[in-house]
Amino acid sequence: MEISTSKSKKQKPVDIDKPKLTVKEFKRQWILVVISVIYVIYGIIFYYLPLAGWIIAFQDFKYNKGISGSKWVGFDKFKFLFSDKTFLMVIRNTFCMGALNLIFSTVVAIAFAILLNEVKNKYFKKSIQTISYLPHFLSWIIVVAIVHDALTSTGIINDILMRLHIVQTPFPFLARPEWFWPIVTLSNLWKETGWNAIIYLAAITSIDPCLYESASIDGAGRFQKMLYVTLPGLRPTIMILLLMNIGNVLNAGFELQYLLGNGLVQNVSRTIDIYVLNWALDARNLDYSLGTAAGIFKTVVSMTFIVVSNYIAKKKGDERLF
Amino acid sequence: MKTKKIVTLILASMLAVSSLAACSNGGGTGATDATTGAGGETQATSGEKEIVDFTMFAAMSGKEKDANNDIQEIIAQKTGVRVKETWLTGQDAGEAIGSIIASGKLPDLIDGGDGSVTLYENGLLVAWDDYLEKYPNLKEMYTDEEWDKFRMDDGHIYWANVFGNSYNHINTATGQNGEAFWIQVRVLEWANYPKIETLDEYFKLLEDYAAANPELPDGTPVIPYTCLCEDWKYYCLENAPMFLDGYPNDGCCIVNIDAGMDKPKVVDYNTTDTAKMYFKKLNEEYAKGAIDPDFATQTYDEYIAKLSTGRVLGLCDQYWDFAYNIMGPFASPLQATDGTEFRLDQIGCDYVPLGLVAKKGMSQQWHSYDDELNQSSGCAVTTSCKDPDLAFAFLSALLDQDIHDLRFWGIEGVDYLVDENGLYYRTEEMRENWKSDSYKAKHTCEYSYCPQWMGMSRDGINRMQPGEQPSEFVLSLAEPLKKCFEAYGVGTYVEFLNSEKVVNAPWYPLWSWSNSISSDTPGGVAWKKMGETKHLWLPTVVMSKDFESDWAAYQAAYAECEPEKFLEEAQAEVNKRLETAQSYGWTPN
Repeated sequence: MEISTSKSKKQKPVDIDKPKLTVKEFKRQWILVVISVIYVIYGIIFYYLPLAGWIIAFQDFKYNKGISGSKWVGFDKFKFLFSDKTFLMVIRNTFCMGALNLIFSTVVAIAFAILLNEVKNKYFKKSIQTISYLPHFLSWIIVVAIVHDALTSTGIINDILMRLHIVQTPFPFLARPEWFWPIVTLSNLWKETGWNAIIYLAAITSIDPCLYESASIDGAGRFQKMLYVTLPGLRPTIMILLLMNIGNVLNAGFELQYLLGNGLVQNVSRTIDIYVLNWALDARNLDYSLGTAAGIFKTVVSMTFIVVSNYIAKKKGDERLF
Repeated sequence: MKTKKIVTLILASMLAVSSLAACSNGGGTGATDATTGAGGETQATSGEKEIVDFTMFAAMSGKEKDANNDIQEIIAQKTGVRVKETWLTGQDAGEAIGSIIASGKLPDLIDGGDGSVTLYENGLLVAWDDYLEKYPNLKEMYTDEEWDKFRMDDGHIYWANVFGNSYNHINTATGQNGEAFWIQVRVLEWANYPKIETLDEYFKLLEDYAAANPELPDGTPVIPYTCLCEDWKYYCLENAPMFLDGYPNDGCCIVNIDAGMDKPKVVDYNTTDTAKMYFKKLNEEYAKGAIDPDFATQTYDEYIAKLSTGRVLGLCDQYWDFAYNIMGPFASPLQATDGTEFRLDQIGCDYVPLGLVAKKGMSQQWHSYDDELNQSSGCAVTTSCKDPDLAFAFLSALLDQDIHDLRFWGIEGVDYLVDENGLYYRTEEMRENWKSDSYKAKHTCEYSYCPQWMGMSRDGINRMQPGEQPSEFVLSLAEPLKKCFEAYGVGTYVEFLNSEKVVNAPWYPLWSWSNSISSDTPGGVAWKKMGETKHLWLPTVVMSKDFESDWAAYQAAYAECEPEKFLEEAQAEVNKRLETAQSYGWTPN
């Protein structure tokens, strides 16, 4: 990303597009180089070296034989994956839940941030913001326990519905496959909306107040200011976050679905991660190779998503990651 | 653009925070925590004796003991070994064992449950063979024929199942540890102790009682019937048709012996008329509201929490799965709506087992009078244990009578007294202590997944475990339970259940085979699919608004799993076990 703020104009202009790597320049920046090298090493060790383990996807890996002793099977594991109906089902589940989550979490977080920004009482605004992002710090197992409890026949949701005479008998939310995705999406919203809104709120505060003033002079009302000043001002942030999150669509979740699922909703609740757990880490199967193959598939798809959406953003002249 | 700079900053800090958080999340595998510090570091305590600390993981849910547990310390002084036991936390047995293998950090001792065979296949267990010769206490646990059943395909023994093994092979059980339709004694008392034989009678009684007594004294509404469906514990819903037809708990199928004991034939219980009758009955009861509306989605913890309130009148389950967890709550005082104190066991919330059958007058085999040998899992020593000899010495020492008494009876004078005839007995206070969860955590140390005995003690006077001591057993019963037994003229749960007295067939129990089959064979694949299909369809047919069409759809989906491939392998296993028994001289009689 280019750095050209109003402050930097007062300093000596630096053309970062074409840095001249001279000894003098290097000496001047040596501390920065050292710091970045640490991150590069960290990245290599923790992100790239483990990728070497991918080779077991092409083996029939056995724990006691190790990588060198296990038999090579080529693409057999991948063939098995794509002939397994269950795997195709979990791809669908993962993708749908991921997409629902992406769409709703983005829209709701933006709406929440804009609305919160309109609150003029500083203390009220701050307390709402704090309250709304606190659930982010709860672990999923706690959130699931709350959700599970709220949705049982005697839980708060059914209690309210029955008192309002909307339903006569408790509605079995957790037993209905068609309700599973909405429940997952809503749980995600409850937990993450406040947290996701922080970044938008920050972006809003940096929108030049002159724009609002001139909009007022032009006769824009509050709603129009939101629409024509705040939203366009947020556009770069939204694009960047969207691009990053698209790569995460297949990370639709593990804990939530795993803990909230049951036999009745298994066909819509299982995600790729749960499938991997079942095949790779369950002692009754313990097929690390198959689990790795599923993991590779997930990575490849995620990479493709990012590259394609980045390309589209570039075409449209919007913000982009790379 | 200032926006960008701020956004970048926030993004960077968020990434940093989330990567930190990821480290601490750890994917919810408590099992791996359990295994840290494996290897048996020695640590000197109070200068008396070097105590070695071992870790043990049991792939079961259980309660952890407090540090400095009284009896654990005494056993540590006697044996030189202290074992920290850990249990499943959230995940199931297979996943827990899978992650332990993947992490490479094993505890010193392990009961791998369904994952035991995988531990063996990955070469992570120490063979017992040499140590069996060295430690007669361990060898004594089973006969040679029984030990042979534990042998894996390499000819060695890697674990010993520790449960239901009676000393000198004389089973003295007072309780029904297995499955039954359980009912609260207050329901039977209310109906003046009727004879309940069929599902119709059972549910009618539950409904009538719930209509007449809709609330507990503290205002909690009653639930006539609930049923656990979570993970493998859906047997509570699934396998009743096998028992209703009068067969014993082979678990995965019926073994029909109409053609003679030497010509056993494997039959599927999922497709019988009884199965349809049973699920149709559940369906009707669900529609009437007699079955817990959350039965299909409740977790084990929710299930136990529900039972602990005393509001569930009836259920189908195996005793060990629920009873030990509700003893504490049942013995604690509660506040009634009118301000008086009451206890659930005093008002008759304790459960008694009913041996229901499909048709009136049939005999049943809910209870098995002989020991059940489950060779598919058990207590094992891992290759991570630095001193396996010490581990086996410890397991052997646990079977010494004095230590065995410490584990199950406690400390003489504190937890039990001895009368002039040498008979152990407890006072009321001692019995209450042993029902209390907090007392058990700080004082008692059963090492419940290590080798142990049932049946008669070596002194010929007492029983190995107090629950089987006839005098203790009667005294440990709450008043309403005692009255119930008197009303039916019986002394124990076993007599109450009154199952047919049969000698276990040589292939029994077949679940010891089906629990550990992997999905490498066509039968194994079918078994996995059958399980998934039943998990989906059984609750569906129970909750169905149109039972007949959903039942047909279920049967069609079930047939698609090709259960015949599984049954074929089950038949082969039955034949194999029969042949093995015959080679040891077994004959049908």
